[in-house]
Amino acid sequence: MKACPMKAIRVRDGKARIEGVCIDCGECYRVCPRGAVSVFTAGRDVSRLGYGITVIASPVMYAQFGEATTPNEILAAVERIFGCVYDQAYACEMFNLATEFYLRENRVKKDALRPLISPFCPVVNRIIAYRFPSLLKHLLPINTPREIAAKDIRERALREGFPPGEPLRVYQITSCSANMKCIREPLFLKKSNLDGALGISEIYEMVKGQLHNSDEEPLLFRSGGVGIGWGICGGEIAGLGEGNYIAVSGVQETIRYLEKIEMGLVRNIEYCEFRSCLEGCVAGPLTITDRYEAKRILQRQVSLFGQGKRLNARRVKKAYDEGWFFTEKRGEQPSGAARPMSISGAIERQEGIERIFRALPEKECGACGSPDCRTFAEDVADGRSDLERCVFLKKRKEGQGE
Amino acid sequence: MPSLTRRFMISPRDFVRAGEVSIEIQGLLKGIGFPAEIISRACICAYEAEMNVVIHGGKGTATLTLDEDHIIIEVEDDGPGIEDIELAFQEGYSTAGEEVREMGFGAGMGLPNIRKNADTVELRSEKNKGAYLRMSFSVKRER
Repeated sequence: MKACPMKAIRVRDGKARIEGVCIDCGECYRVCPRGAVSVFTAGRDVSRLGYGITVIASPVMYAQFGEATTPNEILAAVERIFGCVYDQAYACEMFNLATEFYLRENRVKKDALRPLISPFCPVVNRIIAYRFPSLLKHLLPINTPREIAAKDIRERALREGFPPGEPLRVYQITSCSANMKCIREPLFLKKSNLDGALGISEIYEMVKGQLHNSDEEPLLFRSGGVGIGWGICGGEIAGLGEGNYIAVSGVQETIRYLEKIEMGLVRNIEYCEFRSCLEGCVAGPLTITDRYEAKRILQRQVSLFGQGKRLNARRVKKAYDEGWFFTEKRGEQPSGAARPMSISGAIERQEGIERIFRALPEKECGACGSPDCRTFAEDVADGRSDLERCVFLKKRKEGQGE
Repeated sequence: MPSLTRRFMISPRDFVRAGEVSIEIQGLLKGIGFPAEIISRACICAYEAEMNVVIHGGKGTATLTLDEDHIIIEVEDDGPGIEDIELAFQEGYSTAGEEVREMGFGAGMGLPNIRKNADTVELRSEKNKGAYLRMSFSVKRER
């Protein structure tokens, strides 16, 4: 309950429930000692998915099987399991290049928005949509790497006449707890090009069993060091050319920084990379390897493959000019996010909260079922909780009664 | 008309926590649902005033008073005061020390920026007697 950065969890009758806005950050999943929280993916039906789907493998995968295992070996194992694999790191490099084109255009625009914000992290996008809707227009209007990859897969399949008769199914293998939700309800597209997401931890054993299982391995790894680096916070901006960029990770730090941006204090920065997981996607909830160990492995691979992109820049530029990379719509504030209340009503509510809050002990014990005293005061003011639930107030009252 | 008053403490020379009061004010204004434009103006001013206390002032307080139509922010401190108020409002004029400038503050833009963004500004100060700054923002004027 206290781990939730959105203060959305309440405990009622001994059970935790999500009552507020959930951004799918996975913090509750990480901390719950009893495993009461599960993350919504397609992974539970992984056996039913069967053979013959196309999976997009996140670069975080490359850090899960020790430093001796190469990205290509991992991709080959995944392909043996599912039938077809796509290296997401390659799409990351395409995204990087498209971003560079956009930033270049933005630099010469007169009243350009600053800073632009990376649209990569789905949790950050939801934080912005719910808490900083005025910053939605700062999100770079370019499709995320997973959508780029899926779009590429679908168009290529169409060109090559595959598959005959059967619908193409595209899934992503990810460390992220929010990907399934943003595939189901995309913020910037009418419909996602993906069918679902699988957690790395859910398919880990399967992949491990298939590693080094064949003498011949096709070349599936298509990116360079830049794409691999995307697993770590800072990896995205490392793939951009010269400029003033920053990378911020962790939900609290991200919120702090978004507050600063909203106040107009970060105008000297051109582009911000935000990751809700501390240290980046290597720390996603659906991983096996420890985040720092994973970071070390990826850093090693980056230096091995070199800090470069393996792309046909001319082809990417052509696609960029044709608008291939752009999102279909700008993000909107989700309906129901804004409280329909007059200013005077809100001031009255705020006064009420203050009055209740002043009576509270500020022990932040959470026994009332709300995460802290201030949130409890809000809940009482909104009629969602009862002052009786505060054990300290109750005790004080009983003491007076005697 | 319902109104609300909140008081915040500002600690001098605390550059780590500098800006937190303005962020708290911003959160409160957003929660109440004032138009984004007035919030951003009020918060820029609150931030500049808060930084002035952090850089120059002694112990300070910020008082936020608001009702449906107005936001008023008063910032007071018991620091060294301002000798020449007109000069202080001039762009680029600053008495901040080298150490503060190295941190990227003290460019002499604070008060001019406040004058640009607030609807009314009142500054009272005497040497060695601290400073009092009152900034107001009215909602109705913004369509």
